Amino acid sequence: MTLAAGLGYALIALGPAFSLFAGVVARKPFLVLTVLSSTLFWLISLIVLSGIWRGFLPIKSGAWWAYAILILTSVALQEGTRLVFWRLYKKMEEMLDAFADRISKPRLSLTDKMLISLAGGLGHGVAHAVFFCLSLLTPAFGRATFYIETCSKMPFFLASALIALGFLVIHTFSMIIAFNAYDERKKSDQVFVPVIHLAAAVMTLVNLAPGGCLIGTPLLLVMAALTLQHCWRVACQRLTEHRHQQHNSN
Amino acid sequence: MADAAAAAAVPGDAPAGTTVLDSLGEDITRIVYPVSACMLLVVLLVSLLSSPSSPSPLSASIAAATGGVSGGGDDDIPTALITALTFVVAVTAATFLLALLFYLRCTPCLRAYLGFSALAVLLVLGGQVALLLLSRLRFPLDAVSFALLLPNAAGALALAALAPASVPIALHQAALVAVAVLTAFWFTLLPEWTTWALLVAMAIYDLAAVLLPGGPLRVLLELAIQRNEEIPALVYEARPVDPRHGRNWRLWREGTQPGADLDARSTVEVIGEVLGRNLDANSGNSSSSHDNEADGDVSNSRPRVTLVAAFSSSDSTVAQAGEVSALPEHRVAVAEMSVPLIQPRPQRSGEEAVEDEDGIGLSSSGAIKLGLGDFIFYSVLVGRAAMYDYMTVYACYLAIIAGLGITLLLLAFFRKALPALPVSIALGVVFYVLTRTLLEEFVVQCSTNLLMF
Repeated sequence: MTLAAGLGYALIALGPAFSLFAGVVARKPFLVLTVLSSTLFWLISLIVLSGIWRGFLPIKSGAWWAYAILILTSVALQEGTRLVFWRLYKKMEEMLDAFADRISKPRLSLTDKMLISLAGGLGHGVAHAVFFCLSLLTPAFGRATFYIETCSKMPFFLASALIALGFLVIHTFSMIIAFNAYDERKKSDQVFVPVIHLAAAVMTLVNLAPGGCLIGTPLLLVMAALTLQHCWRVACQRLTEHRHQQHNSN
Repeated sequence: MADAAAAAAVPGDAPAGTTVLDSLGEDITRIVYPVSACMLLVVLLVSLLSSPSSPSPLSASIAAATGGVSGGGDDDIPTALITALTFVVAVTAATFLLALLFYLRCTPCLRAYLGFSALAVLLVLGGQVALLLLSRLRFPLDAVSFALLLPNAAGALALAALAPASVPIALHQAALVAVAVLTAFWFTLLPEWTTWALLVAMAIYDLAAVLLPGGPLRVLLELAIQRNEEIPALVYEARPVDPRHGRNWRLWREGTQPGADLDARSTVEVIGEVLGRNLDANSGNSSSSHDNEADGDVSNSRPRVTLVAAFSSSDSTVAQAGEVSALPEHRVAVAEMSVPLIQPRPQRSGEEAVEDEDGIGLSSSGAIKLGLGDFIFYSVLVGRAAMYDYMTVYACYLAIIAGLGITLLLLAFFRKALPALPVSIALGVVFYVLTRTLLEEFVVQCSTNLLMF
């Protein structure tokens, strides 16, 4: 429904990402590069996934269990990719620390590390939102709108944008939680992240049922809020611990 | 824990210690932003102007011209290959001619030629794109105003593009991007297979021209290095502007960090350092970290690393048509030779401050220069991807930026002239094919059922 609607949907899906980018990431060029490389990384994981599943598509509309398997494998692959991402990040951190020592500047502080993990998560979220939502928004710039059968109360673009928003928040902040957990070796958080991801993805299976999107979408946003709250808690905790340590050592 | 150690090492500086992260990678982002802006503009132009229902009169005329040559006009692979080959041959010939002119020290010729081509692109191509936009957007503008505005705008932008020293840097960069956008948009009007063949052929040509001993670009570069001159060319320089001084002249970065041999902002240095290659150069010069080695050997200091991509837009198919009278001048090789991607300052005495000399410990010559040919071909790839679908646009954009990053890595590793096109074009083509065949089906299947993960 014209330019305004198309832009509106795009901003629903990507508005918070833009704000995060402009407010936090754009200030440090390295974070911009991290976002770009993270997006590329997740795009590659999506391509691998689609390569694996190409032979089985298109899935018949009644077979919801096929979709369930698809979701399970996708989430498993993505969580595995997250571990790989973590290893790469560790290597890069070593290189940066070595470089900082070389030019006698301070090493990466805790805030820096959390910022890098935020940028990594943002890259993941943006990749998801762009490929699942934004690339299908082109018809929304035209004159009409579109409803799918199972979701006859909300325009398809709106539902897709809201779900993309939810996943953007989930991906961005669960990356911070995950990196923090790998760093501190906290098992509970290490499990929390894949569980949330899986739960959110399985939640979208509800959308297959008629009228399901009216239940699924708000629940997804609730999960996004949950992730956000947990990440806030984790970050606060870590930062206050760090400050106490600094005070104690001074 | 490493954090405590680091915190203790920096006395009492908990909140605001500037770490390495603050300025690292700045030079790369300063080249990524304009490349992205150019690609974005081309995608916007393509999506506005290339609606399949109403083929623009220009593409119809080009189709007619191509059709007239190949006798059938269908867009098939042999025609595409022949066109691409003709183009590459024309570009090679033009580059050799340029090298010859440079050898004969005929700099006024080169400058005049550059000026002419920039003006031609802006006037002719810009005018036609403007006309298309006016008709598509139904913008009310009368002919007289248009006839007044167009030559003025074209002249001003051409001047801004060619005389960087007399114009604010933002305008200069904007003019270069405008030239690149217009040329790239024109290239996207070619038929599909021809465009892809052309891109691949140019990437291979670039590789050959820079790395093979007899390649024209290599010859040109060696001449320039020998004589320590800059090749007059249209290159995009990503130099930081310091707004504090109230005038928008370019200021070199001042590397006045005591004891810091390397500028954290020059990512190439970081990469080179980290890969251990910098150690020889640094250990030799660490004692003279502040010396302005004005006459220091170029060979001793950071060696020249250059990335080159050259092209000349000779739309040979249209040239053969002959009917399109306005176009022969853009058949003339718009040789936007992009010379040094990473260029250490040539030894310019006089006006430039001494700080930007090449000596170690001074301002990093981290000003990355990227030739306009690279801008153009990247945007052509993305523009062609936009003609299919936006998913391919995003994938190709990421691939091209990744290619640019990889090229910079290779540059820091090998420290010699490297072409900027091949890696990006290769990655772009691969990602385009993968997205179109694999990813799209998968994602559309999932997201039309509102299934996401």
